Amino acid sequence: MSTALTFTTGRHPDGAVILAAIGEIDMSNADAFATALTDARSQAAETPIIVDLTAVEYLDSAGLAALFPHIEQVKLVASPLLAPVLTVAGLADLTTIHNT
Amino acid sequence: MGEGEHRPVRATDAEVLAGGGDVGRDLAAVRWDETPLGPPADWPQSLRTAVSILLSSRFPMWMAWGPDLTFFCNDAYRRDTLGEKYPWALGRPASVVWAEIWGDIGPRIETVLSSGIATWDEALLLFVERSGYREESYHTFSYSPLRDDEGALVGMLCVVSEETERVIGERRMATLRDLGSDPSAIRTEHEMLAFASAQLGRNRRDLPFTLTYMFDGSDGTDVRLAASTGIADEQPPAAAWPVAALARGESPVVALDGDLPAGDWTEPPTQALLVPLLQQGGTPYGFMVAGLNRYRVLDEGYRGFVELAAGHVAAGIASARNYEAQQRRAEELTELDRAKTAFFSNISHEFRTPLTLIMGPVEELLARNPDEVVRAELDVIHRNGLRLGKLVNTLLDFSRIEAGRMQAHYEPVDLPAATSELASVFRSAVERAGLAFEVDCPPLDRPVHLDRGMWEKVILNLLSNALKFTFTGSVRIAVHPAGDRAVVTVADTGIGVPADEMPRLFERFHRIENARSRSNEGSGIGLALVKELVELHGGTIDATSTVGVGTTFTIRLPFGSEPLAAVNPSSAVSKTADPYVQEALRWLPSSSSSAEEEEPAVPAAQSPARVLVADDNADMRDYLTRLLRSAGHAVQAVADGQEALDEARGQLPDLIVSDVMMPRMDGLELLAALRSDPRTAGTPVLLLSARAGQEASIEGLEAGADDYLVKPFSSAELLARVRANVELARLRNHHARWRTALIDSLQEAFFVCDEDGAVIEINSTFTDILGYGPDGLPYAPVHPWWPDQAADPEGYQLVVDAFALLVDQARGTYTIPVAHRDGHRLWVAAAFNRVEDPDTGRRVIVGTFRDVTAEHYAVQRDNALAALSVHLSQADSLAGALSGVMSSLKELWQATEVYTAVFNGSGPPTLTTTDPSSSWADLAEQRRAAIAQLRDEPLLTPVAERSGGAGIALEHPDGTMVLRVELAENRPFTEQDQTLLALLAGHLGQGLHRIHQIDQQRETALALQRAILGPAQLPAGFAVRYAPATRPLKVGGDWYDTVPLDDGRIGIVVGDCVGHGLQAATVMGQLRSACRALLLQNTDPAQTLAALDRFAAQLPGATCATVFCGVLDPAGGELAYSSAGHPPAVVIHPDGTSDLLDQGRSRPLGVPLSAERPEALYTVPARATLLLYTDGLVERRRRPLTDGIDRVTAAVQEGRATAIEDLAAGLMVRMAPTGGYDDDVALLLYRHPGPLELDFPAEPGRLSPVRSALRGWLARCGIDSTTAQNVLVAAGEACANAIEHGHRHIAGEQIRLRAAATADELRLTITDRGRWKTPQPAANPHRGRGLKLMRALMTEVTVTTGTAGTVVALQARIPR
Repeated sequence: MSTALTFTTGRHPDGAVILAAIGEIDMSNADAFATALTDARSQAAETPIIVDLTAVEYLDSAGLAALFPHIEQVKLVASPLLAPVLTVAGLADLTTIHNT
Repeated sequence: MGEGEHRPVRATDAEVLAGGGDVGRDLAAVRWDETPLGPPADWPQSLRTAVSILLSSRFPMWMAWGPDLTFFCNDAYRRDTLGEKYPWALGRPASVVWAEIWGDIGPRIETVLSSGIATWDEALLLFVERSGYREESYHTFSYSPLRDDEGALVGMLCVVSEETERVIGERRMATLRDLGSDPSAIRTEHEMLAFASAQLGRNRRDLPFTLTYMFDGSDGTDVRLAASTGIADEQPPAAAWPVAALARGESPVVALDGDLPAGDWTEPPTQALLVPLLQQGGTPYGFMVAGLNRYRVLDEGYRGFVELAAGHVAAGIASARNYEAQQRRAEELTELDRAKTAFFSNISHEFRTPLTLIMGPVEELLARNPDEVVRAELDVIHRNGLRLGKLVNTLLDFSRIEAGRMQAHYEPVDLPAATSELASVFRSAVERAGLAFEVDCPPLDRPVHLDRGMWEKVILNLLSNALKFTFTGSVRIAVHPAGDRAVVTVADTGIGVPADEMPRLFERFHRIENARSRSNEGSGIGLALVKELVELHGGTIDATSTVGVGTTFTIRLPFGSEPLAAVNPSSAVSKTADPYVQEALRWLPSSSSSAEEEEPAVPAAQSPARVLVADDNADMRDYLTRLLRSAGHAVQAVADGQEALDEARGQLPDLIVSDVMMPRMDGLELLAALRSDPRTAGTPVLLLSARAGQEASIEGLEAGADDYLVKPFSSAELLARVRANVELARLRNHHARWRTALIDSLQEAFFVCDEDGAVIEINSTFTDILGYGPDGLPYAPVHPWWPDQAADPEGYQLVVDAFALLVDQARGTYTIPVAHRDGHRLWVAAAFNRVEDPDTGRRVIVGTFRDVTAEHYAVQRDNALAALSVHLSQADSLAGALSGVMSSLKELWQATEVYTAVFNGSGPPTLTTTDPSSSWADLAEQRRAAIAQLRDEPLLTPVAERSGGAGIALEHPDGTMVLRVELAENRPFTEQDQTLLALLAGHLGQGLHRIHQIDQQRETALALQRAILGPAQLPAGFAVRYAPATRPLKVGGDWYDTVPLDDGRIGIVVGDCVGHGLQAATVMGQLRSACRALLLQNTDPAQTLAALDRFAAQLPGATCATVFCGVLDPAGGELAYSSAGHPPAVVIHPDGTSDLLDQGRSRPLGVPLSAERPEALYTVPARATLLLYTDGLVERRRRPLTDGIDRVTAAVQEGRATAIEDLAAGLMVRMAPTGGYDDDVALLLYRHPGPLELDFPAEPGRLSPVRSALRGWLARCGIDSTTAQNVLVAAGEACANAIEHGHRHIAGEQIRLRAAATADELRLTITDRGRWKTPQPAANPHRGRGLKLMRALMTEVTVTTGTAGTVVALQARIPR
């Protein structure tokens, strides 16, 4: 059994691919997150995608590990809840914190 | 200092009395303006100070102040002494408050107020009315003066401690102790009751009077007053008592009226407690009526005291009855003994009849002038008939004396006349022996009271004795007065008696061996009889003697009071004298001359032979001579063995016919001497003996005789034997018939041993006692009656020691155990004496013994009972008593092991053994079955087994107890042993029941102690401490409790009962249980306390207990609580601020309430610490309670960042006064929320629910979302690592997560059983990131990897 996590993919008004995750990301579903990232990247060609983690309540090193391969082509949006983790992981510069 | 200017700021009335708790509030309610003291605000400082001291003290105090001596008191005084007078008493004149004892205390107060000197009274008896009746109470108190601001004496302060319980308890204990003392000297039921009455009568305070009734008659319906105390004539009729109920074992209370004795009081009892005198396994022996002290209520202690006293009496009756039964048995045995004596005496009479029928016709024949030959034969018959008659008479005299039935006919007798007359009868015999006979009997002026028949025997025996042992010189008899006594002396110039034989001269059957005498005949009882007879006359006899010079017997007899003229002329000497004289004459050589000189007058035998006859009996010698000559033999007759030996050596005979028993040298010695000399070795010897039986013949033959003839023998047989053997047959014998008969007539067993200790001769009593007959002789050591060395080493050793004595010492006595031939065991007391034969130099040992089994067991029983009683009285527990008793039983029976098994219900019994390593399961199946079987036997009925064990069932307080004594193999368990076992078991049962009552108290204490330790498992988040003030018992009146309720909430209780120690603990235990049960039912603190009020009202000592009762929801921290007079709980917030939970307060338990108990609600904030406690933690003398609460609050504040368990430990140390707590302390801490503890399998899928649980707990801890998220991620990383590294090869391993909060910190540990790998970022970059994340998010991270697993500890500071 893996932790509840769902994805939706959309387009930003500026055309960027948006991958929105809802739920929690841990070692049990990090692979699904990685797959979703790869899929989203494949739709976005060489342009950066926006990974929307606003509705993600938990993200740990397994989730971060799924993010790192795409680090050059990703922008992150997250709630302040994830801010300390993303900061510690050195991803603060890629991240926009939204107060939801 | 001028008054007025510096007067302190006026306080309000309420402030003056603040800090006084309930009493303070009640004092405030007093209408002071109606008292001489006026409103408190106007009170002088001195009064305020005094009141403040009073109110803050935990020690009971009261004070009186002002002109009316207005009464104040504190809470402790109210609780201990004032009772129902509170709060009425407050503010009233002391003389009104204590009107009933004012006569006692008024003068003391007067003294204090006039002199300013304090008083001191210890345990003063005061009759107070505080519980609705005049109550006997004892108080130790001091009155000290109180001075006002100007120093004038205006009042007094009384510090008092009530000692009623102690004084009364000691008094009762003294009575019970006295009752239990010295039962050893008490034998009969009557004595026992008298003793008990004396003890009970000494305590007329608790027992103004007692009446002890016994049930009589087989059906127990008759009631008899057996003893009473404190009551003389005015005894109520037994019909007044409910006898039927008592017979059923009930203990009713009966109301009394009428003019009954009042004991030490002025007024008589109003009720009596009737207690049955319980008999184990039967209806009560009776009952005791105890008039009750009207100044005390009949509480449990009082009732217990009366029941224990009755129990002592009942136990005493049991033991007295037991003793009486034993006594009866002893009397029956004595009766049996009397019957035996009577029988013996009858038999002696039976001898006399045939003797008379022999002697009568013989005398008839002699009177017809027969020819010489016939006359000679008839003379022989006559003489020997006389001799036999004399012996029978002597024996008869003895049996009469023994039985105390000697029919004496005393009359005043002219002693010299009677004595000289008797002497004259002997004159011819003495003179014929060639001795001078002097009779010197001058008249006396007073008579002597004599039985003539007896006196004849005395004088004739002494004269006959003198003649027997005197060969030259004289025999002298003299009478002369000496003061108030007449002295008779019989002196001879005979062989004398050796000095070492003198002490035994008058002993029955004692004969001086090897003494030269005129005859070896004699029973050895002559002098003993003389002594008995003289003593019957109130006289004495003694003897002086010098060997070779002579012997003098001196008899002293008291004179009669009447003049000599009143004396009847002496009658002629009776026929008694004949046998003595006839016998004496036969000892003398001249009397046998006729036969020797006779020519043979019969045809010669076919083979005439030279026959040497040796016999000391002249008649027998003559008879044999005549007989053998008549058969044609040449006969030479001699009087003893030595003469025979000399004769035989001189001229060898063809045959020697020898008697066995002869003086100087007997037949056997003669035989031995003949056989040892080659010249005489071939001479045939025919022994003649009085000893009958085939075995005796064989013995004689074995000794080397050629033939053996037993007396009486027919002349034809003798002649046939002599004829058939001129060199013939062999026989021999040891004993003359009469000696055997006499020895056999002894009541004591008789034996003779050779110098090696082999028994070579015994009598019939020996056989009766031991079962070994003469047929088995000789009995060589080790004798067959010795105890078995293996089975009874101790008994065996005793016999070995005694045997050494027997063989080595000249004389001695010993008491030893022996085994009867049929196996039963007995004890005998023996006396022995070594004797040396002058001719052979052979040493033999002659001894007697008697059966002392009964006496031995009586002593053993007394000792065993005493030892048992000591164990029972010294033991302080049932188990201790049992093991003590068992070891003494083991010693008593030299048992290999002693078991007791108590059957309590269906399970295996509780086994106790003298071998501590044994258990029921270890016992052999056979042994277990034997024990189980014993259980079904009737109680107190011993069962002995063939296999060497015995057991008995008795009542143990816990059920039927089987006591089993395991003896060494084959060691018999005799009937006496069984009786003893039954007796001891009976005592043991009673003793155990007594100790059980004491034991129960201890059990109660231990149960309470366990109970006070509170719930075995505390709910999470709690820490508790308990410290009783009374150290040895480790129980007290305070308690805490946590009660998990069905709805997930937790009941929390802290309470404090009045007092310390066991008594308070008893109350506490019941309150605690009740509160617990009520909480489970109500789940509502106020209702619980209200119900507890009703319970407390029923429970003596429970009122005024204070209780804090709350119900906590551990999820949200909601706490509903209600306090019954208990100090407020304290809550310390994480930021250090504090709340007092001082709402919901009402009075202590059982104190009447006007309103319902209030309840308050409080929500324990996250990470706050809740403290419940009893006042022992905070209260200090002379300091307000609020001080203590402040101090404990501060202590918790400081420790709020400490783990809860450490905080509890720290608080107990920090709050302890110097010298330790002087009051019970209970303490309960809770930090909200309780720690989170999760165990989950190491699977990735579990992470989400774990996070969810942790998230919820963090929320309950009130953690901000950022910190919470950091903790979630750090914990999540630790869990992920545990799953990934620790358990990748092992599915289903468990991971444990524990989280706890203090005020400012969170602490988590994640524990797994795997080993973490050193992070290798290159191989697995994101794992390294995990650890990095943890370190970044947490204040502190430690990873400890050991062989057992890995522990990750995380700490996060909680931002303010």
